[in-house]
Amino acid sequence: MLYSESVEGHNVEEASADSVGPTFVNLLSKTQVDQLGGRLRKGSVAEGDLQQLDAYRRSFAGAYDEVVAIIRDTTQLEPTGRPAKSTTSIIEKLRRETIRLSQMQDIAGCRVVVDNILVQDQVVERLRGALPKAIVVDRRKQPSFGYRAVHVIASVRNKLVEIQVRTELQHVWAQMSEQLGDLVGPAVKYGGGDADAQQILARISRATASFEEKGSLTSVPELVGGIGQFLKYAIEKLIASAKPEGGS
Amino acid sequence: MFFLIEYDRPRGTIVELREFDPASRQLAEDARLQLELDLNRRGVDHEIVILDAPNKEALLRTHSRYFESVAEMVHGSPQVQALIAETNKLPLEHEG
Repeated sequence: MLYSESVEGHNVEEASADSVGPTFVNLLSKTQVDQLGGRLRKGSVAEGDLQQLDAYRRSFAGAYDEVVAIIRDTTQLEPTGRPAKSTTSIIEKLRRETIRLSQMQDIAGCRVVVDNILVQDQVVERLRGALPKAIVVDRRKQPSFGYRAVHVIASVRNKLVEIQVRTELQHVWAQMSEQLGDLVGPAVKYGGGDADAQQILARISRATASFEEKGSLTSVPELVGGIGQFLKYAIEKLIASAKPEGGS
Repeated sequence: MFFLIEYDRPRGTIVELREFDPASRQLAEDARLQLELDLNRRGVDHEIVILDAPNKEALLRTHSRYFESVAEMVHGSPQVQALIAETNKLPLEHEG
C-alpha cells in the first residue's frame, strides 16, 4: 500500500524529510544531517563524513523502490534511476546553493524519456493520479537556465524522490548541458561560467521549445544550427584540452 | 541491474564500470563506499555513482552522458536526425 505524504504548501526545495531512514543513520537527527551537509560544503571531506553520507543515502532505498514500482505500474514505462545522488553532485549543490542537506529533493531520483510532449503530458498525468500529493514542477514553462523537463516530486515513506520526465529532445539538450559542464565547468549549467557555452545552450533550448510547443518548423534550422554550433564548440574544447572524445 | 560507475569528469571517460544483479544492491553500495574512501585517501577527484536500469541499453539511452561523446550523442538521437531531415524539406525562405 502506497504511503504518500503531502508536501503541499512548501517550497519544493524546502520540503524536507522528517526522518533519515532505517539504517544506523537513524542515530543522526535532522540537525546532524544538516551539520554533515555544512561540513561537506566547507571543503575537505573526512572519512567519517563519507560514511555518514553513505548511510544517509542508503536510507532512501525503500522510497526509491516504491516510486519505481509505481512508475512501472502506472505508465508501463521502465525508468532508469540513480538511487542516490553522487557525493560529487551533492557537494556541488551544497556549494552552489544555500540549501541544507536534509532539504535536498533529489538525493534519490529516476528518469523516463518519452518521444514527445504529448506523451510527456500523459505520463505526468498518470503519475499525478498515482501520487496525488506529489509536487509537479513544469520546467517547460519556466526553464531553469535552459533546462526543460517535467519533474514530479514524490513523497514516500517520509522521503522525497524526484521523477524526471523528459522528451527525447529535452533529454538530448540536458545531456549536452552535462557534457559541456564537464568540459568547461559545471557553472555553465546554472547561468554562470563560459559565456559562449551558455549562449549555445540557450539557443538550442529556445529553438527546441519553439519546435516542441508551437510545432514551429521555422525553428528547425535554428535548432539544427545551434546543435552544429554546439558540436563545433565542444570538439574545439576537447581538442584544446587534449581530452579523449568518448567514454570507455 | 545496478551499475557502479567511476567517472573522470574533466576527461569525460569512465574509469571503471561494474555490474551488479538486482538482488545485489547492498554489494554495490558497499563497493561504492569502499571506492569513495579509497579515492578520498588518494586525493583522486572522480565521480562515483550507482545507476539502476533493466539493462545496459536502457542506461545508454537515459544516461548517455557517461558513455558517449557529444557527437555520438547527437548523431545517435533519432529525434535530432529527424529534425535535420526536416530542415532539408523547408522552403528557401526558412533556411537560416
